[in-house]
Formats: sequence, C-alpha cells, structure tokens
Amino acid sequence: MSINRLLTPALIGKGHMPTIFSSDNHQPTVEQPVATAPAVPVATPNPPVVIDPNPEKHAYISKASLKSPYFPTWCPGCGNFGVWTALKNALTELQLPEENLVIVYGVGCSGNMADFNRVYGFHALHGRAIANAVAMKAANHNLKIIVVAGDGDTYGEGLNHFISAMRGNHDITLLVHDNQVYGLTTGQTAPTTDKGTKTKSTPFGAPEVPINPIGLALTSDATFIARGFSGNIRHLTDLIKRAVQHPGFSLVDMFQPCFTFNKVNTYHYFKERVYYLEETEFQPNHKVVAWEKTFEHDKLPIGVFYEDSYSVPFHQTLTQLEAGPLARQSIAEVNMDAAISNYL
Amino acid sequence: MVKTMSLHWKVAGRAGEGIDVTGVMFGKTCLRHGMNVFGYREYPSLIRGGHNTHQVHAGFEPITCQQKHIDVLVAFNEEGISLHLDEIDENSVVLCEATQDGYDLTKYADIGAKFFDVPMTNISREETGHFLSQNIVSVAMSCWILGLDIEVFREVVSDQFKGKNETMIANNIKALERAYQYAKDNLPQIKPPSPKKPNKQIFLTGNNAAAIGAVAGGVQYFAAYPMTPASEILHTLAGLQHKYPLVVKHVEDEISAMNQAIGASYVGARAMTSTATGGYALMVEATSLAGVMETPLVVVVGQRPGPATGLPTWTCQSDLLFIINAGHGEVPKVVLTPGTAEEHFELTRQAFYLAERFHLVVFILSDKFSLESYMTMPRPKQVYENERYSFAFDPLPDDDTYRRYEVTEEGYSPRSVPGQLHGLSVTNSYEHDQFGYATEDASLTKMMVEKRQRKLRSVKPELPPLELIGPRHAELTLVCWGSTRLVLEEVMRRMPEGAVNVLHFPCVWPFPTEGFFQHAQNAEKLVVIEGNSTGQLEMLIRQETGIRIHHRIHRYDGRPFYAEDIIKELEELRE
Repeated sequence: MSINRLLTPALIGKGHMPTIFSSDNHQPTVEQPVATAPAVPVATPNPPVVIDPNPEKHAYISKASLKSPYFPTWCPGCGNFGVWTALKNALTELQLPEENLVIVYGVGCSGNMADFNRVYGFHALHGRAIANAVAMKAANHNLKIIVVAGDGDTYGEGLNHFISAMRGNHDITLLVHDNQVYGLTTGQTAPTTDKGTKTKSTPFGAPEVPINPIGLALTSDATFIARGFSGNIRHLTDLIKRAVQHPGFSLVDMFQPCFTFNKVNTYHYFKERVYYLEETEFQPNHKVVAWEKTFEHDKLPIGVFYEDSYSVPFHQTLTQLEAGPLARQSIAEVNMDAAISNYL
Repeated sequence: MVKTMSLHWKVAGRAGEGIDVTGVMFGKTCLRHGMNVFGYREYPSLIRGGHNTHQVHAGFEPITCQQKHIDVLVAFNEEGISLHLDEIDENSVVLCEATQDGYDLTKYADIGAKFFDVPMTNISREETGHFLSQNIVSVAMSCWILGLDIEVFREVVSDQFKGKNETMIANNIKALERAYQYAKDNLPQIKPPSPKKPNKQIFLTGNNAAAIGAVAGGVQYFAAYPMTPASEILHTLAGLQHKYPLVVKHVEDEISAMNQAIGASYVGARAMTSTATGGYALMVEATSLAGVMETPLVVVVGQRPGPATGLPTWTCQSDLLFIINAGHGEVPKVVLTPGTAEEHFELTRQAFYLAERFHLVVFILSDKFSLESYMTMPRPKQVYENERYSFAFDPLPDDDTYRRYEVTEEGYSPRSVPGQLHGLSVTNSYEHDQFGYATEDASLTKMMVEKRQRKLRSVKPELPPLELIGPRHAELTLVCWGSTRLVLEEVMRRMPEGAVNVLHFPCVWPFPTEGFFQHAQNAEKLVVIEGNSTGQLEMLIRQETGIRIHHRIHRYDGRPFYAEDIIKELEELRE
C-alpha cells in the first residue's frame, strides 16, 4: 500500500510529519471549495428525488419511520427535545435507507433517546460509545454511524476514545449533548461545568476549569468541528446534516439547557449570547483562527468552526476493504498457507 | 536422570543479543529433522541488559516441556554459566567465551561439565563485521556436538534472512561454515548423528497458534492493546491482515479493544481481542455489555503473576476464578483452557463457532508458559470451512414484528445485523424486552435473565470434554487445566507405567460436572496440580460437584512446573 493513501492529500509530498496545525499551512485558503459554498447550506423545501434502482430493497427514513413505541421521558423543556427534533429532521432530509443507519448511544439523559428512535440502535456503556462506533464503521463502511452522547460521556469518562477517534479520522458523527451538568445522576459537576459552580458533588464550587471541546477537537486534528444550540432547531438540523455527510470524523457539540439541574446555562442565557459564525467573515478552514474563536465566552459563536475538505476517512486507507465491507466478505473457505508460512 | 535420546540445549545471555531468535533457529533445525520440539523462554521485563534464556528440548518421542538438565549450554556471558550451575553436570557441554569476556573457568571445575572457550564472537566479526552472528556460530557448533545435519541449519538461516541483503546472507553462511568446521576440529560429538525424517509439523508459540486458529475460524476484526504475554497475537494477526479479510487495530486502551470488538461483532464481523489478565481487568465492564447484548465475542487472556503489574514476564494460573466470575451481573460465558499448541489452535478456531452460534462471550484462558513457549503441532489443514450461525435470514417480516431477543427454549434467537432490511432493533446495555427496548418490568427481567442462562445449557454438548491422558487406571490421577498438562504428560512418561494418569480440563466453564463425576469414580487417588496458591480449580470442583480432593501441588513463584519437582512430590504420595 502506498504511504500516500495514509495521508490526506494536503500532506502528501511535504516531506515532514504534520504538526498539530500543519494541515492548515498546507491548505491554500483561496482555493478552498468549502470557502465558496455557503457555510450552512439552505435546507431545500423539497428534498431531491433519490433515484434508487431497487426501491423495494430499501426503506427510506421518514418522520413516521423514526417513530418508536415510546415517548421521551425527559423533563418538560429539556434541551434534549430540540436535539432530538433536529436529528430526526436531518435524518429525514438526508433520505438515508433506514437499514444503513446505526445510532450508538452513550449513557445519560441523552442516551435514553435509544428507546425513542426506531432505528438500528446500540445503547452502549457510559463513555464507550465511540469505541463501539469506530469498529462498526470499519467492519461495515456502508453504514452511517452516528453517536449520541453527553458531555460527561464524551469529555469525561470516554475522553481517551474521543481523542483517538479524532486522530484516526474514523468516519462517524459525534453529537454531544453539552448541558454542563450531570442530569441523569441528579446534578453533579461535569467536565464542562464552569469553575466555581456549586453542584451536588462540589458544594463549595467546581475546582477545575471546564474543558474546551472545540479547542480539543482542533488540536486532535478532527476534520469537521461544529457547535450548535438546541434552541435553534433549523440551524442545528443543517449542522447535523453537514456532519453526517462529511467523510471522516465529525463533531457537533450542542449547547443544551438542562432545565432541572442547571439554573445558570438556560435558554435565556444562550439566546443572549450565541451568534452565528456564518454571519461573520469567519471561514471554517483555518485551525488557528478557529482556535481563537473557542476562547470567546461573553459571546458564544455557533456554526462550523473547521472543515477539512481533503479529509480521507480511516476505512478508505485499508486495502482489505477494497473488496467490500468487511462483515460482508466471505470467510467460507480460509486457506492457511499464508498463515503458517513462518512456522515451517 | 536422562533416559531418553532427546536433546536439551540452552542459550543464555543479555537481552538484545538475539537470544530468542537463536533459540528459534535451533528449534527449527530440530523441527526440520522431523523431531518434536519444545522451546521455553525466560526473560525479565527489560529491553536490553537483563538475563535472557531460550531452552530447546527436541527428539523423536513425544515432547511437551523443557527439563532442568542441559546437554549443551551456550553462554554469551558469565551469568550464562553462573546462573545455571544446577542445570549442568559431567554429561554437559558448555560453549563460552571466558577469555574474551574476562572470567576464569577454573572456579567451575567441580561441576565436571566440559567447558569450551570458543571464539564465537571472533568468527562472527571476521565473517560478517558484527558480533551479532555469534548466534549462528553457536548454533552451527551445537549442530556438530548434537549430531544435527548442518545442511538443515543452513536452510533455516537462508529462510530466516529471506528478502534481506544478499551479501549479508552470504556472510552469515560463511560464518556458519567456519563455525561448523571449527567445531569438527576442536569439539566432541556427544550424540550420534540424528536421522532425518519427513517433517509434518509446524513450530510456533501458543500465541501464534491462537492467532492462526483465529484466522482459520474466520476472524475479521481484531482490536488489542499490547501487554505481555499476549502481545504476540496482535503482532501475528497484524502481519496477516493484508492476506485475509481482516482488520487489526492497535487501539488506545483495553477498554476500547473490547468495546471495538463488540462493535464489529454487532455489525456481523467475527471479532476477537486479546490481552493479559491485568489488561483484562479493564475489559470486565465490556464483558458484561457483551453478555447482556448477546453479542458473540472471542477473548484470549494470558495469565501472568499479579496482583497489579506483578511479574510481567513470568507465568501462573491465578486467574481462573477471576475470569469465570468476571463481569457485573450474571454473565453467561464459556472459558476454554488450552495447554498444547494444537489446543490453542483448535480451541480458538472453535471459539468463533461457539460464540457466533450461541451468542456468547468465549474466553481462551492461557498463560505465559504456553503462550510464549515454542511447540510443535501437526500442520493444520490447508483449507478451513466456516458456516455462519444464528443470523436472521432474509426476508424479515416488514411489519416490525422481528424480535431480536425472542425468548426461546435454547436461550438464543436469530440476530439481524445493521444493513439488513426490516431488522431494526435496539441492542441494549439496559435490561430489555424482546425487541430490545429498555424495560424495568419485573417479569420481563426474570424472563430475560433465565433466557440468557439457558444458553449455557445449550452450549454444553458442544464443548470439548475432559481429557484422560494415559492409562485408564492409575495409582494417582493428576487433575489439571491449561498449560500444566504439558509438564504432567512428561511426568507420566517418566514415572513407572500405571503410576499416574492425567485428567486435563480443556474447558472449565460451564463446569463439566457429569464428566468429572465419571472420571472421579474411576480414579484411585486424585491430586490437583495448578499454578496458584489458593487452589482455584480445586475450589471450583468442590463447588460444582461437592467432591473434596485431599492432595494438591501448587506453584506460585512465577516459574512453570518442572517434571523433576513434581515426580519427587508424587513419589512421597505413592508411599
């Protein structure tokens, strides 16, 4: 296998290993195809007609097809409802065959969505959803894999998997419900809680500074990084759609008020502070500029922070998968000659 | 003591001197004479400088372990002699470089062994420009002393360096020839020239055998994090991934390894992970996940002495009860305990069938002794056929009536995989109903717990039965599991006929209760022999059968059992 297959085109021929920001240096900002496209595509009122040679072999996702027998148990007004609606909108508008989608859920209030969607669902362990998801994609790359997890799930318990999945550019979409508190366990401090915040587990104030998810994703070379707000469902829908379509790892960190346990970061709090990156001169193709944006706290930017339009996902670097998805390749007859050649 | 015609050879020196590859080349030379071979390695948890040994026992009779007495000892430094004084006697030949290494051989004179101060490094330097070919020089000399065909060794060297620089190969061959000539002129021959029989075997470690057993069983996704003594499975499979439909991933930690294997298995790939017992401690939660999700999974676990980091490069059998009980909640599982290379191959291959058909987690529980020792086994078949089991077949009903967790008499039911039309369901870490949706309902919970446990009943007839090795009746029946059988077979061969037979457990869980009762009834006196201090198999036997065994031999100092030691203890029991 050529080494070139392992590198993103932007790095080929540069003669040195990339540093954390190097992929920016190699990308001319003028010729970026993304730069010319609108930062967030406008939702088409009539989705494009899908030409399917074997329509009887697929069932396409629709609002109705997503309906499970169970209705959410989240608190009234929970930010999860906004995320849920945006996710369902995005899935419907993307016109995916329902059998080719897997949603992997973490454990927390967000993960309880597992029972509310009629999809191939995988309700994982707390913190481990990403590890399950990257292997699903490698074992059947025809599937679309979406991870629905919380901030405690992703930035606390499962931080190791989060960073590794970004470094590997595994083609999964990670939707993080970032409510800056632990909800399901009734209100303890989260990795995203502001320093000094009093919670059940930190009655004298949270001692750590919060994690910077977008900044962390930028330094881990994630190839699609965005932030949304569950209070703007249309905007979040479009972010999720772009994330799912991105070839490679995509993160959408989502401000998501917890009505019950977080009395600070409310809808009102976010409505007053968020502004839209695509309405500014910001272009999502420069990591250093994007990184500076992640330190804005008085006003909170949402939208796409970074997108690598040359992204080559992990599974496309594996020559074994050229013959088709791994799980579909035949093991009916295994010839042992190659396996025993070293032991004769 | 030595009553067989077999060869006992050992090389000792510093880590980084290629001790291991020397042992492998010598072992392969014996293999290609048609012999049975066992190669045992000892090394500390260091990259350079610690004391390393590789010991080869070879011969035409059955051979399953090393022994203490050595015919030829190759010592690359003084420790190579001083640490092994109780293994050599007047029948032994020692090749060393006392003059060059600057030590005095006269102080070892009372051992009576024949010491030869031979120019191994000099021959290597003069022919290849580097000291490292002292390995080849030492094996060439050993070939003369032990009556092995130097042409066979020449082929082994050519194969070892296949694809390397031509001049380098030629220089090594020159070193080999000079060393052999030197040996002919200066050294004695202590064994008659060995016959050369056709070789129908392969020579590999338990790790290699488990890895290629997995290949034969159709492994498609393998995720692991390196940890002695199981890292070699990762290396072996990683090297094969472009020759088979196989993806091998060295992942960020053991937690991820197990969860990735579960993810790959969920979408329909045959998946495996491997680790040491310390690494497995991190996989316990995911074991529970696979248990409740009913996702097929094969896990190879290599035991090494704990607690915690313990003795990283040594052996033990102290994690039987840990593995059987691992996973919060009651997780049904199968625990297979191979000893020989052949068992490592066969049981790992079969584990994929058991896991897939019965939707179970199947463990291959082994230890450093058999995972990292080289053994011979019959060459596997050229082609292995794999059927697929317990998948839901198309077309599924299009009215959402497919139930992933249908409650059945056998405990498992056909599973759909993502990508399959009309097979939507939730695969759930929470307790769930038949469709997979979470539930806290009492009667549903009870039904699901019982359904999962029924799988153990279903899988039982498919498991490898207890194996009675040796005569049907004997004075002592030695009860063992895993690698201990290797040593006990040697014990049996050395003791008078009818003195002992060996009852080996290739599968410890679910416990073979009926089988054990039958064998226990036929046995005169049972002795449990295992590598831990608490008697874990003995406890399990008492727990599952009520049978109390009164005689036991334990070892828990990181070293493997030696036949010589066990025989001494058994002789006392026979009196």
